[in-house]
Amino acid sequence: MDHRPQAWGRPRDDVYGPYDASYLHTSMPKTATQSPIVTGTSVIAIKFKDGVVMAADNLASYGSLARFTDVKRLRPFLSTSVVGFGGDVSDMQFLDRHLTELAIDEAYEAEGCSAGDVSSSPSSTSSSDSSPNKNGQLNASNLHKYLTKLMYRRRNSFDPLWNQILVAGFDSASQPFLASVDLRGTAFTSPSLATGYGAMLAQPIMRKYAATEEDAARLTREEAVKVVRECMKVLFYRDARSLDRFSLAVVTKDGVEISEDEVLEEQSWAFAERIRGYGTQTV
Amino acid sequence: MTSIGTGYDLANSIFSPDGRNFQVEYAVKAVENGGTSIGIRCKEGVVLAVEKIITSKLLKPNANKRIATVDRHLGIVYSGMIPDGRHFVDRARDEARAWRDTFKSPIGTADLASRMGGYMQAYTLYQSVRPFGITAIVGGYDPSVDLPVDGEVGRGPSCGAGGKIPGKNFGGPGLYMIEPSGLYWGYYGAATGKGRQAAKAELEKLDLAGPGGESLTLEQAVKEAARIIYVAHDDNKDKDFELEMTWISGPEGPTKGLHQEVPRALREEAERLAKKALESDDEEEEGKDDKMEE
Amino acid sequence: MFRNNYDNDSVTFSPQGRIFQVEYAAEAVKQGSVVVGIASKTHVVLVAIKRNAEELSSYQKKLFPIDEHVGIAIAGLTSDARVLSNFMKQQCLGHRLTYGRSMPVRTLVDMIGSKAQINTQHYGKRPYGVGLLVAGVDDHGPHLFEFQPSGMTEEMVAFAIGARSQMARTYLEKHLDKFAECDREELIRHGLRALKESLVQDRELTVDNTSVGIAGAADKAGKVEPFKVYDGQEVAAWIESVADDKEAAPAGGSGEGETMEVDP
Repeated sequence: MDHRPQAWGRPRDDVYGPYDASYLHTSMPKTATQSPIVTGTSVIAIKFKDGVVMAADNLASYGSLARFTDVKRLRPFLSTSVVGFGGDVSDMQFLDRHLTELAIDEAYEAEGCSAGDVSSSPSSTSSSDSSPNKNGQLNASNLHKYLTKLMYRRRNSFDPLWNQILVAGFDSASQPFLASVDLRGTAFTSPSLATGYGAMLAQPIMRKYAATEEDAARLTREEAVKVVRECMKVLFYRDARSLDRFSLAVVTKDGVEISEDEVLEEQSWAFAERIRGYGTQTV
Repeated sequence: MTSIGTGYDLANSIFSPDGRNFQVEYAVKAVENGGTSIGIRCKEGVVLAVEKIITSKLLKPNANKRIATVDRHLGIVYSGMIPDGRHFVDRARDEARAWRDTFKSPIGTADLASRMGGYMQAYTLYQSVRPFGITAIVGGYDPSVDLPVDGEVGRGPSCGAGGKIPGKNFGGPGLYMIEPSGLYWGYYGAATGKGRQAAKAELEKLDLAGPGGESLTLEQAVKEAARIIYVAHDDNKDKDFELEMTWISGPEGPTKGLHQEVPRALREEAERLAKKALESDDEEEEGKDDKMEE
Repeated sequence: MFRNNYDNDSVTFSPQGRIFQVEYAAEAVKQGSVVVGIASKTHVVLVAIKRNAEELSSYQKKLFPIDEHVGIAIAGLTSDARVLSNFMKQQCLGHRLTYGRSMPVRTLVDMIGSKAQINTQHYGKRPYGVGLLVAGVDDHGPHLFEFQPSGMTEEMVAFAIGARSQMARTYLEKHLDKFAECDREELIRHGLRALKESLVQDRELTVDNTSVGIAGAADKAGKVEPFKVYDGQEVAAWIESVADDKEAAPAGGSGEGETMEVDP
């Protein structure tokens, strides 16, 4: 007879057969994020001759509910690069905090490296030297490489950060840089890039203006901004998870300008009349 | 010093019969041989300065920084064993990071001083380690305005958060000095290292605790800091030194709440004034020069 | 009392606030043969005297490449240096892998500084018995750092460590102002002359006992000269170019075997 405390009050194995304890451990195998919860939609970006323009709307959706309408999805890094996030918003917040810490660590190294003479221009007392590569800090290309490793490692531990990310800034040769990485760790670069719906709707439009690096190198800032605005409008027309308020970032050698209160103007929904095959039309 | 040689000073964390931990006292001796460090706290912010003795002509000028930034808004300067100081700073940065991870906001000056005081103290508790051979001065400016939480995405509700008292100011400048024992106090003006006696005397003249602290601007504080380092160096004249200075102002001030090196133009101006002040001092009191010695 | 009670370990301060074990470790550096490093605006060079254990044995290694852009010169316990060198190689490689760039030299040097400091504060550990000159190039240009067993690291314009290195340092101090503008070849020659200063009488630089390492910062085209060590016949021309200096002893010539430096 089994006298162990575990057996107290239980049916005797020799009478009733081995006890079926399976109900005691009901837990499933360990699981991680299976799908995003609160999400941001497309991020789009295009290079031009002096830098990169990036845009994303200010919406965070909860399923099909437009839940948060003032979400900032474009984040500056070290005032030399911009990171744009599509996908899960809480994972974006995690990454944003992570990048803040990375930026602080980078600043520690930069202060140790500033060789005295470089620092502190006599007139401005603000940050010593913020030109993209001269200060030896992480540039957009370094940052993208890092994010790629991070995303790929998380995917391989079956706990991905559910985002599509665009990184814009400059590379080590001081050329405009634009690249993407997603939750699978897939990374690539192109003169124009878009995530989510943007990859289907905005990318063809941007390619009309910058199919190659040479085309992009001819675009002016104004042209690039205009293309991006146009794309944001198309996305708002056709992407049901988008918003007509968006953020626009321009990265140049002078730094990062982000405006977070852009509004889509001159909307025309006339085209909607001509759409057939959905809804309640009978003809 | 009667108990020296009786064995109570051969290991850390041992009390002598009269209640002293000799190893900690010896660590203080290591500090007293190091270049002078000072900190000045005034209304608008904090200035840190250090006298870096040039041990070799072959050192690259201005390349070896001694005042370290922690997070973005804190600075640490130290006197004594420099590698120990670097370790101390590394730890402070880890603490600041851990604080951010937990609270999603930057660590306060007082909180960092407390954490680091605890860390120093831990190194007096065990025979398996030795105390830090440094005294560190921690300066910072705690934000007086609401900061966004790390990773915040939206603006949130437009009406104010609860618990705020209208008109009450939060934050402000902070200055702490941590000794090898782990003891720390808040200071208006702090000095450590070889020239601490002279530096303290000068700091006291500034009357930082009284109306002097109210009226001293940050730029004046920079100039005073430079002068005090020059005065403190005076006893050690045969060796050349480099002056390194950093400052931290509030969000409206010149550093926008960040810890930064004092701009070169201002530092050079401060050094020029310091030398001038020293020369005129020398003329006044010719005879009584050989007073302070150790 | 003759015996020093305070020098048994690195966790005991002397009444003067000194840590003798660390100071003794610094003495180990002086036992090693001399190495010299100099940085200009464009290049950084390391030169070293190699010893051989006995006449017929090979010569020790004094210069180690760490990464494309960094190399070190060692004086002291070679095995300790290898530990540090391996560590530095791993850090550089890891950094290259995660960020796609070469690690800033100062960052790398700070890492070994912190590593060495730990050994001076914990019982059961001993300080590293080796000094390093770390030479490297990054976005800020060429750098030369000295690393001491205490964990102290300092950026230098030029420096020498190891046996009789004081003479080399005196030479370097004398020519300090010239280094910044030196080109690659001039810099190497200065290094070799400094090295010669610290040789004992009747010894001289040979292709067997001299090593040269050099790295160049990015030129206008953005091209970096990777750190490379030159030994043997590769250094013959450089040795030749400093052979007929005014101060060089005319002796040499015969009795080559005796002029070689031999580890005691």
